[in-house]
Amino acid sequence: MSTVLQDIVAKKHYKFIDGEGLTWQEAVKQSTESLIADGSVSKDFYKQIIACIEKYGPYMVFEHNVAMPHTTENAEGVYKTGIGFMVCKKLIDFGVDEDGEKKEANLFFTLCSANPTEHMNNIQQLANIFQNEPLLDALAVATTPEEILAAEEKYPCEEE
Amino acid sequence: MAKLDGKKLLACCANGAGSSLLMENAIKKVMTRNNIKPAAISHCAVSEGKSAAPNYDVVLCAKPFAKTFEGIDTSKTTLITLKNVMSDKEIETALKDAGLID
Repeated sequence: MSTVLQDIVAKKHYKFIDGEGLTWQEAVKQSTESLIADGSVSKDFYKQIIACIEKYGPYMVFEHNVAMPHTTENAEGVYKTGIGFMVCKKLIDFGVDEDGEKKEANLFFTLCSANPTEHMNNIQQLANIFQNEPLLDALAVATTPEEILAAEEKYPCEEE
Repeated sequence: MAKLDGKKLLACCANGAGSSLLMENAIKKVMTRNNIKPAAISHCAVSEGKSAAPNYDVVLCAKPFAKTFEGIDTSKTTLITLKNVMSDKEIETALKDAGLID
């Protein structure tokens, strides 16, 4: 079975940007572009993600500058299950969390789910990726799909 | 027998589709590591969480959602709030602090 990163590359669900001066709203929008391109989500899907972050704060920005923008299962404008992966050279400012801690991200894993089983499988793999710091570091400097695959080959996640 | 054997745990996030699944995943790791066999580990959106809470022994959520659960019967349901929802270490420590894991 292919890994989520192999899947991201096979489906061209990736984007590499500089990110200089981008607001988090613009960054979230751009992170959905690869998902829009193959009809996984509608072009307005990003608005639901922005509304959620505006409502609850940047709780979906995790340690190690990883953001996992998402909405709900079977959300409006979602047609396939997938992950829109985006690397920003510059850190994107998401403001502060409820403890006043600064939240920034340069790795985006934007989720869309139309199938709970596939989605759960994606999440389980992402949970391992999010705790694999050498892999995250390598992904953060990737600029091509080949480098995504090379990073995973070099720092594979442990099977659980 | 472990205290959480046969108990029901619920993970909540804004939509019940992202962070709550990460949490569920991390909770499963903690249960396996401590040889605990809960009756159920589920996830849902915070909008459903408060009404679902009485059916669970433990509810876990990220800190920003703690307010949603104000007024639940804490003698029946333990609320655990987390800074990092995918950290199995934080979940384990929080459950220990709550006296739910020996």
